[in-house]
Amino acid sequence: MRPERPLLPPSTPPLPPQQTEEAAGRASVDVPDRLPDPVPSPILRHSPASSTRRSRSLRSVMANSPSVTFAEDIRSGSKAESSASSFENFQFRLAGSMTGTPAGVARVSTRRSASERAGSQRDLRDEDARFVYINDADHTNAPPARFPDNGIHTTKYSILTFVPRNLYEQFHRVAYVYFLILAALNQVPQLGVFSPVASILPLAFVLGVTAVKDAYEDWRRHRSDKTENNRTASVLVGGVFRPKRWKEIQVGEVVRVVANETLPCDMVLLSTSDPTGVAYVQTINLDGESNLKTRYAKQETMPTPPEALAGIIKCEKPNRNIYGFLATVDLDGRGAVSLGPSNIVLRGCEIKNTTWAIGVAVYTGRDTKVMLNNSGAPSKRSRLETHMNRETIVLTVVLVLLCSIVTLLAGIWLGDHSDELAVIPYFRKKDFSSSNADGTYKWYGAGPQVVFTFMMAVIQFQVMIPIALFISMELSRVGQAYFMVQDKHMFDGKRQAKFQCRALNINEDLGQIKYVFSDKTGTLTENQMEFRCASVHGGDFSDTDGGGGDGHSVTGEDGVVLRPKTAVKTDPKLMALLKDGAGEKAVRARDFFLTLATCNTIVPIVVDTPDPAARLLEYQGESPDEQALVYAAAAYGYTLVERTSGHIIVDVFGTRQRYDVLGLHEFDSDRKRMSVIVGCPDKTVKLFVKGADSSMFGVIDKSMNSDVVQATEKHLHSYSSIGLRTLVIGMRELSQTEFQEWQIAYEKASTSLLGRGNLLRGVATNIERNLRLLGASGIEDKLQDGVPEAIEKLRQAGIKVWVLTGDKQETAISIGYSCKLLTRDMTQIVINSHSRESCRKILDDAVSMVNKLRSFSTDPQAKMPLALIIDGNSLVYIFDTDREEKLFEVAKACDVVLCCRVAPLQKAGIVDLIKKRTSDMTLAIGDGANDVSMIQMADVGIGISGQEGRQAVMASDFAMGQFRFLVPLLLVHGHWNYQRMGYMILYNFYRNATFVFVLFWYVLYTGFTLTTAITEWSSVLYSVIYTAVPTIVVAILDKDLSRRTLLKYPQLYGAGQREENYNLRLFIFIMLDSIWQSLAIFFIPYLAYRKSVIDGASLGDLWTLSVVILVNIHLAMDVIRWNWITHAAIWGSIAATWICVMIIDSIPIMPGFWAIYKMMGTGLFWALLLAVTVVAMIPHFVAKAFREYFTPNDIQIAREMEKSQDLHDATHPEVQMSTVARA
Amino acid sequence: MSLSGSESDSLASRRSKKPKYSKFTQQELPACKPLLTPGIVIGAFSLIGIVFVPIGLASLSASQAVVELVDRYDAECVSANDKVGFIQDTKTDKACTRTITVPKPMKRPIHIYYQLENYYQNHRRYVKSRSDKQLRYKDSAHMIKNCEPEAASEDGAPIVPCGLIAWSLFNDTYAFSVNKKSIEVNKKNIAWDSDKSNKFGSDVYPSNFQKGDLIGGAKLNDKLPLSEQEDLIVWMRTAALPTFRKLYGRIETDIMASDEITVVIQNNYNTYSFGGTKALVLSTTSWIGGKNNFIGVAYVAIGGICLFLAMCFVVLYVVKPRVLGDPSYLSWNKETPDHPN
Repeated sequence: MRPERPLLPPSTPPLPPQQTEEAAGRASVDVPDRLPDPVPSPILRHSPASSTRRSRSLRSVMANSPSVTFAEDIRSGSKAESSASSFENFQFRLAGSMTGTPAGVARVSTRRSASERAGSQRDLRDEDARFVYINDADHTNAPPARFPDNGIHTTKYSILTFVPRNLYEQFHRVAYVYFLILAALNQVPQLGVFSPVASILPLAFVLGVTAVKDAYEDWRRHRSDKTENNRTASVLVGGVFRPKRWKEIQVGEVVRVVANETLPCDMVLLSTSDPTGVAYVQTINLDGESNLKTRYAKQETMPTPPEALAGIIKCEKPNRNIYGFLATVDLDGRGAVSLGPSNIVLRGCEIKNTTWAIGVAVYTGRDTKVMLNNSGAPSKRSRLETHMNRETIVLTVVLVLLCSIVTLLAGIWLGDHSDELAVIPYFRKKDFSSSNADGTYKWYGAGPQVVFTFMMAVIQFQVMIPIALFISMELSRVGQAYFMVQDKHMFDGKRQAKFQCRALNINEDLGQIKYVFSDKTGTLTENQMEFRCASVHGGDFSDTDGGGGDGHSVTGEDGVVLRPKTAVKTDPKLMALLKDGAGEKAVRARDFFLTLATCNTIVPIVVDTPDPAARLLEYQGESPDEQALVYAAAAYGYTLVERTSGHIIVDVFGTRQRYDVLGLHEFDSDRKRMSVIVGCPDKTVKLFVKGADSSMFGVIDKSMNSDVVQATEKHLHSYSSIGLRTLVIGMRELSQTEFQEWQIAYEKASTSLLGRGNLLRGVATNIERNLRLLGASGIEDKLQDGVPEAIEKLRQAGIKVWVLTGDKQETAISIGYSCKLLTRDMTQIVINSHSRESCRKILDDAVSMVNKLRSFSTDPQAKMPLALIIDGNSLVYIFDTDREEKLFEVAKACDVVLCCRVAPLQKAGIVDLIKKRTSDMTLAIGDGANDVSMIQMADVGIGISGQEGRQAVMASDFAMGQFRFLVPLLLVHGHWNYQRMGYMILYNFYRNATFVFVLFWYVLYTGFTLTTAITEWSSVLYSVIYTAVPTIVVAILDKDLSRRTLLKYPQLYGAGQREENYNLRLFIFIMLDSIWQSLAIFFIPYLAYRKSVIDGASLGDLWTLSVVILVNIHLAMDVIRWNWITHAAIWGSIAATWICVMIIDSIPIMPGFWAIYKMMGTGLFWALLLAVTVVAMIPHFVAKAFREYFTPNDIQIAREMEKSQDLHDATHPEVQMSTVARA
Repeated sequence: MSLSGSESDSLASRRSKKPKYSKFTQQELPACKPLLTPGIVIGAFSLIGIVFVPIGLASLSASQAVVELVDRYDAECVSANDKVGFIQDTKTDKACTRTITVPKPMKRPIHIYYQLENYYQNHRRYVKSRSDKQLRYKDSAHMIKNCEPEAASEDGAPIVPCGLIAWSLFNDTYAFSVNKKSIEVNKKNIAWDSDKSNKFGSDVYPSNFQKGDLIGGAKLNDKLPLSEQEDLIVWMRTAALPTFRKLYGRIETDIMASDEITVVIQNNYNTYSFGGTKALVLSTTSWIGGKNNFIGVAYVAIGGICLFLAMCFVVLYVVKPRVLGDPSYLSWNKETPDHPN
């Protein structure tokens, strides 16, 4: 029974679910007995479970929230959904907001409070649950349960199912069905245009290539599955732990795992080597987070030896949510105890810092969360491919037209010759052999004959729709992806992260991006917090220049020196104040750092160093902000040395002080603060609070020291204006009565069965009041390398960069300045309102202002740059009240848009706003789970494979290590890919159309009977062998401009945005070219060989070679960069065709035997080949020469510049050095 | 995501993750980047012009030297009104005498062709109606699947050679005399050597051929193997276009100008039922083959057009010159909107 995690407004961590459960669970056991260190005074022991699951700081919380929150949301709304995976629910939500009303975003947030009120107690209904009998696998797996075993089968096929399943999957492509129908049609005896084998060959080839690729991938999966399945784990069998292979582990079995071992399945922890039941796990394989997470065995299960344990675990059905788990355990009928996400360890994680852990398998094999999360990104379709459909339709119309013409003419011909058909030697309708009753030969009446002609024409001209195009596109994308992955400029050396292509079908979209939506933290910034400023008791201590950077070290009890892992620069004045200061200011300063050291959930871990006399103190926690604060406190002499479930030990300038943790109030989205109640060594009880300034100033007693409050407010403002994340620190000393009242309320709330979360929140709110303000901290979220430069380049490239962040407005703006997104000359439009009405008004004002500015300045050069800054609340109002249109109008006019305090779904809503209203391509980049929605919504989604979880990467189409890689990715690879792919599609259309037109002209001279002079084998091989390789090679290797030029002139990216390389105009031109070339190919030999002894096969060979040479020369003329591979492909292709033709003509039983050799012996053949090539290419060459010289586009100019640069480099090598250095 | 492997393994694999640098993987292979500079454009057109015009003129003159005499005889050789009835009547004498005056001296060898017009030897039903296996291999006589409706005789025995093509073998014959003196027509080696040696079997003999109710054309000598039936071999190489010539034989003597050639034609072949025409062609040869003005004219025309284009470009480049690679032409560098773009 998990309390809900509410949908978060940005920067507010969720209410951790465990605390209540833990408390509830604990209430029924004799807790004090098990305490390792009995604590003085009445204490309600704080459970470590709650502490670690606590505030995962702004970011990381947001990272996890969407998948959890929305799923919960749905579930509370409709119970029936509860067994479905939360991720599906989430996507369902997303889809709803995409297609549904614009109020989608708002609806979610209003629903939130409802779901909160719905109460935290939700029962797992029996039909939605899975029952696991601990230590009794047989009972657990007895029918009807039948849980899968723990073997994983990521393979799609088995040997038996490969052929049918693979074919089934491939035929999802409509084009293949079309070709299959044609091939089937061809088998009808009356229609047999090609021989049965030849008609199937192209399709079989294409299917075969794909099948081989699939089979290879599947075989690799099979191999890795096998090694995985055969690993061994120690499983309790007959009372003893014995090694057992992973694949044989069953649900209900008890498994023992030791330190550094990988978990074989999802298990509920039963006991661990730690007396309090703690186990540390590293989840890097699961979510990419490298820090250690703590998991707990229930106190109820701890004491029983595993072999004696019996009971039922009732848990939810398997789902994808790795941050959620809902179950109860009933040990021998002692009553149900709830289990949460902190009690389960998941497959793929590793046990660390824990000698052993024992658990019971609850999800195995394909039911494990890691496997459920293993599916790839949803497939998207590239813009080019969508456009391609339009041209495919045009070609289909042309195809039908050609077939109709042939049919019509054939009909007329039959009509004209109807009297003669019986005896005409080349038709011979009559069959005189008496065996045939009706005396006709292949004659079905004029009507059917005409219909057959049409069908035969379709079969004959089918390649008008290029079958090889699909496979060529796939192969070239693989090649392009290979080069993207291999690019050393996109390799993140620091994180050893390679670029990843997760989606293989949208490479070319990277060249057409118009909008980039970026997450801030972790994407623009490092998500590595650094403590920079402290405002203590009204004094600003930001001057860290003089402070030592090596941190403060403490000597442990055994004489070993402990040094914090990360050193923080300190302000000497503050240091002095802490050490030797007296008076109120010093007291407050000490309390300030005590708060930093205690009010958190950091776990200190001691790491050995090569030096036996020194050890490193590493602070593990889920919030980088907290880590920064604790490291800072350590630098200022307040070193957190030990944290157990009940106490904290802080080393204060060499003296160890013990603080008992009496209670802890988790961070939650409503309060936006956390607090801890500690019993101090001097027997006082103190409440330490830290939280967001907006929430803290409401609970601070301003009358206490108003000047301090004022000064702190001023400091806070200045901190956030330089881009620091701020937290306000406060405290209060609790009197004995206050403490007892609180304790009673806290206990009551913790054990309450209904609405526990709300009650606890109430208790917290009640005690967190009248605080004394101690000060504030400023933490720097460091920008990633090269972010300002990258944003600058993207802007120059005409890409609009929008930053969507959960941070507050001031921080967002200051980050905006520091990453050069905002500049001082920009006019800022700020929409930041708290009511619907004011929001509407501001928006209307903004629209009129934008319009005024637009009419004002007609000259684009003098245009005033605009920036729109809008916050999440206003967005809710806008989306709620159908004002999207206006917002879009404003946003479009602005160069920069900064959205602050936005919730994950709002991010998707903003992306959708643009997607719905423009045809411009959008790209979303982010690193956390909170970015998943927008990554999936945008045309191109990019995940930063950073420290945050893998969720963003899993949902993304491309993943990379750094934001700045966006520049080479878009400007260089995107540009290339778009140019290459656009050309390839056009060329494929052209190539096949040329061939079909040549066939068509010939049909006009054969009595419209669809004879071809070109042998059927050449027709079949034409698009798969004769001409396929060069297009693929060119589509992978050709570059219109060098990387250097593209990066030097980002404006060149505009070619893709303006769709310069693939559009209807180009298509029409290349089709006209195709018609002209086919005319040249057909009619020049026709005229030359009219009234001659030429036979069909010889002329066919000439046409075959002419077409192949011509389309290859056409390609050669458009190739921009010739390297040896291009040469080999193009000339090799012509040679291969020649060889194929010669081979076909060397088979005696082919009608055209020896034709090519005879032809090659005549001068006329060579003369015609040359004439055809020249005549066909003249228009293309003239147009190209004219266009490039007299109407050059930017790319052409840049190419020329590049060429002259090359010449310059060659003649002045020393100058080259300096230009490189400059570049 | 790798679920397996110890930490050291993963560390090792991480270290090796960095892409290996090579010119290929970084797409930096040495490459040539041709540009269509004015020089190249003008040069290319001029070169084509300079090469094509002489070739064209040469082949034109060669073509002019060829003497080609065409005599259409289908109408003249049938006096009867019912032409189809006449030709189908097996009893009438179909001899027909034609006289041709030679305008220019003809050097040997003089090729004799028959030319059929409006005869779709490339008709789909026709080209498919043959069995190449049967022609080649003795054992494949029964491979008559595609030969309908001339596949088997009435008793079911396979026809060799089967199919419409063989059935409709041309059967007009010509006898020549120059100045009343008869001359021999060499009918040897009129077919391709390759066909004789490899395509038509030397051990395959005609059988059941032209035994049906409807006689399509010539009969074959049952004693000769197919590889020696050169008329059949020539006929079986179906023409590409509906107007075509087939080699009949060669005259191995020179014929002087104003000599009279008398041809006695056995006008047997029925082109009358579908409106086809028949003609006799006598032609000398040159290095470009027979008389063919088209290729010469085409080459001269192409060459001329290219030279013309070269001049056009020269003029254009002079009128509207442009500095290649001048950054000020870049769209974002243009100062005024009316700058050429």
